[in-house]
Amino acid sequence: MNGGKTSAPPQGVPAAGRGINAGRIVKYAAIALALFWSLAPVYWMLATSFKTELEATRIDPTLIPVDPTLANYIGLGGQSLPFFSFFFNSVVSCLATAVIAVVIATPAAYALSRARFRLRGPVGYSVLLFRMLPLVVMLAPLYLLLLNARLLDSLAGLVVGFTTFGLPFAVWMMKSFIDAVPIEIEEAARIDGYPRWQILLRVVTPLILPGLLTTGTFVFMEAWNNLIYPLTFMTTMDKQTLPAALVLTFTGQFKTDWGGMMAASTVTTLPLMIAFFAVQRSMVRGLTSGAVAGA
Amino acid sequence: MFRLSRMARRSAFVASTILALGMAATASHAADKVTLTFANWADAEGATRPGIQAVIAAFEKENPDIEIKSEAISFSEIARQLVLRVRSGNPPDVAEVSGNDTILLALTGKVEPIDNYLDAATRAEVKPSSLEGLSYKGKLVAFPWTQAPAGLWYDKAVMQKAGLDPENPPKTIDELMKDLAAVKKSQPDVIPLGLDTTNRAFSLISNWPWMKTFGADPFAENGATSDAMKKYLSWMRDLAKKGYIDPGRKIGEFRPLIAQDKVAFLWDQVLLQGVIQSTNKMTDADFYKHYGVATQPAGASGKPYSFEGGHQLVMFSDSKHQEAAWKFIKYLATSPYATENYTLSYEASLTPLEKAPTDALAKKLDTPVFNAFSRKIMPTVTAVPYGPRFAPGATAIMAGVQQAVTGDMPIDQIAASIQQNLGN
Amino acid sequence: MAATAAQRSTKAPARKNAERVPWIDWMVLPTVGVLAVVIGYPVIYTLVLSTTKYNMLDMVPPRYIGGGNYEHLLSDPIFWISLKNTAVYTFGSVIISSLLGLALALLTESLTGWRFRSVRALLLTPWAVPFVVVAFLFRYMYLQNGGVINAVLLDLGLIDKPVLWLNNSALALPAIMAANIWAMMPFFFLLLSAALAAIPNEVIESARIDKAGTWSMVFHIKLPFLKSALFISSLLMIISNFNDFAKIWAMTQGGPGYSTTTLVIYVYRLAFENFDFGYASAIGVVWLVLLLVFALVYLRALKVNP
Repeated sequence: MNGGKTSAPPQGVPAAGRGINAGRIVKYAAIALALFWSLAPVYWMLATSFKTELEATRIDPTLIPVDPTLANYIGLGGQSLPFFSFFFNSVVSCLATAVIAVVIATPAAYALSRARFRLRGPVGYSVLLFRMLPLVVMLAPLYLLLLNARLLDSLAGLVVGFTTFGLPFAVWMMKSFIDAVPIEIEEAARIDGYPRWQILLRVVTPLILPGLLTTGTFVFMEAWNNLIYPLTFMTTMDKQTLPAALVLTFTGQFKTDWGGMMAASTVTTLPLMIAFFAVQRSMVRGLTSGAVAGA
Repeated sequence: MFRLSRMARRSAFVASTILALGMAATASHAADKVTLTFANWADAEGATRPGIQAVIAAFEKENPDIEIKSEAISFSEIARQLVLRVRSGNPPDVAEVSGNDTILLALTGKVEPIDNYLDAATRAEVKPSSLEGLSYKGKLVAFPWTQAPAGLWYDKAVMQKAGLDPENPPKTIDELMKDLAAVKKSQPDVIPLGLDTTNRAFSLISNWPWMKTFGADPFAENGATSDAMKKYLSWMRDLAKKGYIDPGRKIGEFRPLIAQDKVAFLWDQVLLQGVIQSTNKMTDADFYKHYGVATQPAGASGKPYSFEGGHQLVMFSDSKHQEAAWKFIKYLATSPYATENYTLSYEASLTPLEKAPTDALAKKLDTPVFNAFSRKIMPTVTAVPYGPRFAPGATAIMAGVQQAVTGDMPIDQIAASIQQNLGN
Repeated sequence: MAATAAQRSTKAPARKNAERVPWIDWMVLPTVGVLAVVIGYPVIYTLVLSTTKYNMLDMVPPRYIGGGNYEHLLSDPIFWISLKNTAVYTFGSVIISSLLGLALALLTESLTGWRFRSVRALLLTPWAVPFVVVAFLFRYMYLQNGGVINAVLLDLGLIDKPVLWLNNSALALPAIMAANIWAMMPFFFLLLSAALAAIPNEVIESARIDKAGTWSMVFHIKLPFLKSALFISSLLMIISNFNDFAKIWAMTQGGPGYSTTTLVIYVYRLAFENFDFGYASAIGVVWLVLLLVFALVYLRALKVNP
């Protein structure tokens, strides 16, 4: 960790030019190393996805596909398994979770941040503690709950499941964003006699839009990553989410098809990467303004 | 809730019959078509999906009054799903199961005994041995669909390069060790022996014949600390130390490797032929020239063993269409169409049928591989002690095997810890 | 924290008419209602189950056995191994990735414009890779024969025979942790970069005028500003790692032996392979209590009012 000269200002500090250069070299070397570390596995995923089945299982792996092929990707589309449905299921359930969690969480976060009520402490603590519950412990009771509500094997049921971790998280995160909004901004509206929900809707919400988006993205990503709920709650293959389908399809009874698996992995990763880069800027803005970043 | 008394069940049955009759009288055409739900993993895997769908379509065509609703559930999840669904009173009509899961389901008491439907003619059609091990409390709880014992596959090209006689696979563990040494020496990049040592119930099933050939039975009283078990564990450690096995690989990961001559011997089922050919595009003739399969090399016990890894079909007591369910089960397991177009082709497994129903099928079954399996390997199949203790036991035993294969803990200590965890 | 300012401004009137403070605010009711159903009910159910002998395979209803499951737990070596593995996995991964993320955030701080944006985007890539894919990918790269990591290390002459990354009881957990760190570091990098950018310019400028050296700038000026972000993001990741199922399950299923069996894996096996819901619930309850204690201590240390 020799980022010693990180913030050496270009214009000043009477340091020897050579020192700065040495520091720079170390710094850039460290960044290059970090880039290699971050990207090499991704490269390997991509490279493997273009290899033929035989090449992907070679005992002496080839660093660059010798005989690049699109067969693995075509296989995904042409396979008898509905990859498009998996994709659709994932997007719909995760998006719904993110939206629902943020919508329900925002008023609660606002109340926890601003309002006075006696159960505020207990409610605030339990929201945070709920966030910590081991998901695996709640599987069986949740299964029975969804069964009785006839929500098993449905996307709605899955959303209910995802809400167990999405909602507390959203409340917690939204509260930190609202905390960061100076209360004075609301004073004028309050004096004008606006009801609280209108203040929240018209004054506070526009200010925390990046925060809303950030929270939504986090919830979305956690739902997207979740494996244990769809594995348990979805019984029909065609209703499965993408990550669960990945586990179920490529660890079947016959063989492990690394090329196909990496092609499917790439397809699973890409949408998230695109979405993620799309919201990245506003996320950084949200995080910077939120209390998560503010000290 | 879950424990309806027999009385209540009977009166519920009477009531529902009356109700059903009444409904049938008022809306007779509604009862025309029966819908069966069929939980299976054949429909969940790309490799078998087209096959099972074709067979279902053929069955529906033959039986216009029955509609099959296939519920695709993955192999690794189906037992859990079925138990939970049985528990919550929502089971399918028919399900595909295998191994310990069959007995697990029977334990719930909600599996309909097949004896109630199995007619003498059908019983005579299947091999008596295929029904063994499918009974629970004296009742036949499942019907055999496919049969897939494991044998020692050998890659003749690799053996030749190692200076071994490719037509003479090892018959004892000692011979095997010599052959493995020769392979390792001549071709360091080849995995001499493919064994699945992952920690899952299937691995214990797969390794059970190897324990057995050393005379070990970890489930017996103090079985894990017996000398035979320790001998087995020491042998496994020896294999690992000498670099003869590649620990932690799933069986499915060895298959593409043997297709490229990178595994010398592979402990695997009938379906390996199909996987190899789909990987390296070999013709049948070339395949038989290149690969062979033999019985397990015998260990201290002097006898070779195998396990039966085929799939079974069960029907549930809560099913309202048991007649139709049985019809479907019978069709899948014994009809010439399903045997030819599913069991032999997509599953690449043996059929439980005593003899091929048609001459064409008999011809299809007459290959070196099918013959070796049905004549030589099938008779070495030994029962795996399925039951409530099997799944937790499998975790404990395979964890011990992994410790033997990957660590340096003394074998005595590993055996003792398996024994302790089995006691839990 | 900005929160304290908001609280302070509401506190004064609160004391004046304390008797008129309502018990609850309607705005939290939707959240409370939803959580009561989807979490409250399962938790109570788990508490009840933990005092019973209940195996889903037997068609007998749960039988009350009081503290029987808890007694069993004390003498269950696998429980203690899992607990230890969980702690090592969680804290090890979080500490290392937060430090790496911090270092990277400081390193890239001086980059500006498109260079910073592209480096940041590239460094964040692993975060967009779903956990399941991380697990498959690393499992593939770790293969003893045919894995790219062993192949490259052999080629470079750094090792003379393949290393059993996932199949050595000493290496398996660190190997999974490496994959986990790979996936998690971008999160810290992003949050800490954002926090660095949020340090008011005047603070940096005045430190610069005081001729603070690079290191003292980092330790005395920047780190105090990052503390809150660091602690909160660590807490988030600790929680998420306690629950991490996908990576371990897809890579080793808890093996070899029990060397990568964490509490999630153990409870999952107990509940969904052995169907021993009573005992699985008891472990769940103990786990819950441990987490609560941890959270309270952590929050106390942070002095954060949730």
